[in-house]
Amino acid sequence: MEVQKEAQRIMTLSVWKMYHSRMQRGGLRLHRSLQLSLVMRSARELYLSAKVEALEPEVSLLAALPSDPRLHPPREAESTAETPDGEHPSPEPMDTQAPTAEETSACCAPRPAKVSRKRRSSSLSDGGDTGLVPSKKARLEEKEEEEGASSEVADRLQPPPAQAEGAFPNLARVLQRRFSGLLNCSPAAPPTAPPACEAKPACRPADSMLNVLVRAVVAF
Amino acid sequence: MAGAGGGGCPAGGNDFQWCFSQVKGAIDEDVAEADIISTVEFNYSGDLLATGDKGGRVVIFQREQENKSRPHSRGEYNVYSTFQSHEPEFDYLKSLEIEEKINKIRWLPQQNAAHFLLSTNDKTIKLWKISERDKRAEGYNLKDEDGRLRDPFRITALRVPILKPMDLMVEASPRRIFANAHTYHINSISVNSDHETYLSADDLRINLWHLEITDRSFNIVDIKPANMEELTEVITAAEFHPHQCNVFVYSSSKGTIRLCDMRSSALCDRHSKFFEEPEDPSSRSFFSEIISSISDVKFSHSGRYMMTRDYLSVKVWDLNMESRPVETHQVHEYLRSKLCSLYENDCIFDKFECCWNGSDSAIMTGSYNNFFRMFDRDTRRDVTLEASRESSKPRASLKPRKTQEKAASAGGPVWFRPRRGARQALLLTWRCS
Repeated sequence: MEVQKEAQRIMTLSVWKMYHSRMQRGGLRLHRSLQLSLVMRSARELYLSAKVEALEPEVSLLAALPSDPRLHPPREAESTAETPDGEHPSPEPMDTQAPTAEETSACCAPRPAKVSRKRRSSSLSDGGDTGLVPSKKARLEEKEEEEGASSEVADRLQPPPAQAEGAFPNLARVLQRRFSGLLNCSPAAPPTAPPACEAKPACRPADSMLNVLVRAVVAF
Repeated sequence: MAGAGGGGCPAGGNDFQWCFSQVKGAIDEDVAEADIISTVEFNYSGDLLATGDKGGRVVIFQREQENKSRPHSRGEYNVYSTFQSHEPEFDYLKSLEIEEKINKIRWLPQQNAAHFLLSTNDKTIKLWKISERDKRAEGYNLKDEDGRLRDPFRITALRVPILKPMDLMVEASPRRIFANAHTYHINSISVNSDHETYLSADDLRINLWHLEITDRSFNIVDIKPANMEELTEVITAAEFHPHQCNVFVYSSSKGTIRLCDMRSSALCDRHSKFFEEPEDPSSRSFFSEIISSISDVKFSHSGRYMMTRDYLSVKVWDLNMESRPVETHQVHEYLRSKLCSLYENDCIFDKFECCWNGSDSAIMTGSYNNFFRMFDRDTRRDVTLEASRESSKPRASLKPRKTQEKAASAGGPVWFRPRRGARQALLLTWRCS
């Protein structure tokens, strides 16, 4: 689980760096973009493999249990415990539930607040008013169609990307396609710092940040 | 680092003794972005040191001559010339600003009294002539001393102009401008041993130029894939062989080096030699691909070896052996466990340079917190030194540093997180005389 969250955080950070690199003088740096995309890919693979590993014990457990009546209560407890960790059946992945989404992680670069300013009002209203926040999912797909052409990552240096995944797929498309699983996850408690990295304890859930960032990036 | 540090010289025998000499530029923390030095290079004789900054300026320092009345002044460098090499430009087609930052400076071998150097930003290379003028002609017939034209009907006699001494004036004039040949950002230039051609390398292509011809260049390496989505590596550095004018090398972001021979074909996409060290599976990590990217490649003066610098180590390769380097030196191995933090603060993307000494017996590279590392290849010893004015007196020998010592004074683990904008010894040049 920690591995998943850390991978999520790295992906979020990479997306932000990719966006920020477009704003700097001199334009997009090919080498930097390549490195960021490599990290994003590694993080995604790590995230997906960690997710598969998390689901595997449940699958094997469910397959083995029917013969043992004593394990029924634990199985029920197990399955209910699994629900928050697995695919959250939220129809609105953009519907941010985290009240702390506006807090910028110290470990991220210092500009995400500025980046997400345009979209904050809809996502960062009271946690209790989430039912009033309009769904963004359908709109994201429409917006992606009209704004995919303006995605600047692929524009300047490469021809419009094909469906095949490469080093520089259309950023909006890959975020929507690959990270939709991420966006469906409910934000859990703030992760404890993994031993390999010095993540700040004040990190807000990365997927909420990703929600905001995805919208910000797609908008540009 | 905003200032260029002092230099060292071998004392007696094989031991190197490093002494702090000078600091040039601003040393306080509050430095303007445009004043940040982006490249440094000694010329062949070591008398001139050229620095380029982010504002597109080139400042050349000259070593003072030996003076018996001031014995300590020998070896000190003073400003010799300052000029604006590149200006910010705008690419209207792509709606992109072209930075004026000087990426590289390379001196040409001196052939007459004037000095020539190549300076480049992301897109344009310029050849500059730096010449001295210490005499001026007086007694012109057609114009007065202040330059105004004289009335020709008032001239009744002719005179021969006389050369009179004047205060030394150093002039820098652009002699050639090599533009519009690179789609991507130029990262390297290298003058050929034939003294007639040079190469310029960007992320995906390498071009060969003739110093006299500005409207044409030959593309000799092109690694751009037909479909950019299949891009997996970029060119990070390139250099000509010091003696064989047909041989050059280029390094990649994947940690590989390709040696190419221009005699084999016009387009050197197919390498003659391929240098790659197999990756150690036990050291593989999340950021392995980033830290394996080579930031600098330098031939030894003998031409037998070459040195590459990646994020954590410096490696010496024998050109006759492609399978693995003959030497590997860890520069700051303690950072391997902190790669995540270094990724967060962008330090993992820093590009360190490396250099050989004049006899190829030692190599040097930089690290964080003003430290630089020297590896003596003969004695197999390495030393860590700090290029900092605060801790050194002029002409005093630099004391070798230990990382543990610094950690203790700084309060422990904080030391292991290089801060963005803190002092990284990224740029190095070793005077070879």
